[in-house]
Amino acid sequence: MASQADVIEIIYRALRSLNEELEEDKRVALAPDTRLFGPDASLDSLSLVSVIVDVETAVADELGRAVSLTDDTAMTQEVSPFSNVTTLADYIVRQLGQG
Amino acid sequence: MSNSADKPTLAGQFVDLRPLTPDDAEMTFAWRQGDRAILLNQGAQTVEQQRRWIAGRPASEYNFIIETKQHRPIGMLSLSGIDMVNRVGEPGRFLIGDEAAAAGLPAAAEAMKLLYELAFDTLKLRRVWGVVASENRRMIKWQTFLGMTQEGRLREHLFINDRLQDAVVFGLLDGEYRRVTLPRLESLIAAARLPVAPSASSASPE
Repeated sequence: MASQADVIEIIYRALRSLNEELEEDKRVALAPDTRLFGPDASLDSLSLVSVIVDVETAVADELGRAVSLTDDTAMTQEVSPFSNVTTLADYIVRQLGQG
Repeated sequence: MSNSADKPTLAGQFVDLRPLTPDDAEMTFAWRQGDRAILLNQGAQTVEQQRRWIAGRPASEYNFIIETKQHRPIGMLSLSGIDMVNRVGEPGRFLIGDEAAAAGLPAAAEAMKLLYELAFDTLKLRRVWGVVASENRRMIKWQTFLGMTQEGRLREHLFINDRLQDAVVFGLLDGEYRRVTLPRLESLIAAARLPVAPSASSASPE
């Protein structure tokens, strides 16, 4: 069973990979409450997709389970899973715990 | 004289695509000098060259500025190489030039959705394709996520960023667009509409 800490580390790795391609002043902070997408967020959709692809791949490779971060379930949450690092990690842990 | 006068503005919920004009030369030239453009083909060397390049676009091309609903220009995008006999076209020249203004917006997603609607619904193309420099990892992930198929690799085909790079060839058919690409683009746009959790504090990049 994956813990929130395991998933947050996966998200941080995806953000580090993204930061390697961003100018220094546009890099994304690695913190639990870093806003990912939406108003006042750090990422545009191009960068968000980079994070989504890396996180989905790492979850499948390391935790042995496939999750989709852009399916209807993700897009019908009361609060956006992409609000910040913690909400994304919590959403993934919930998805891994189901089925 | 630009051919932009007879081209449409494509309206979205978060961004619009309006025709590129020679008056955009200074702004787009500045974007092309930014780090984000380093993995694109070399463009004009001066603003005047950029102005002439824009003015010289053939009528068969659709060249757009991506702008917010508040009319702030944030990027550019084109559909060129349109072949109405074989019904193919080439989306490209895709650049978010003002990343700060695009942050938090589904600008890239909605801009691509508007361009694909032009390609597949309005022009009735059946295939779009393009090449991406092999070092442009973010764009390769983007194209793959959107359902494009890697159809080949042209070895040492591009001289970009002071070195030879492979060109990765991507293609997308009409049915794939409707089955895979459109739902994923709509998901990204929907993500921007969801309420977000309250903010706590800020931190510095690692």
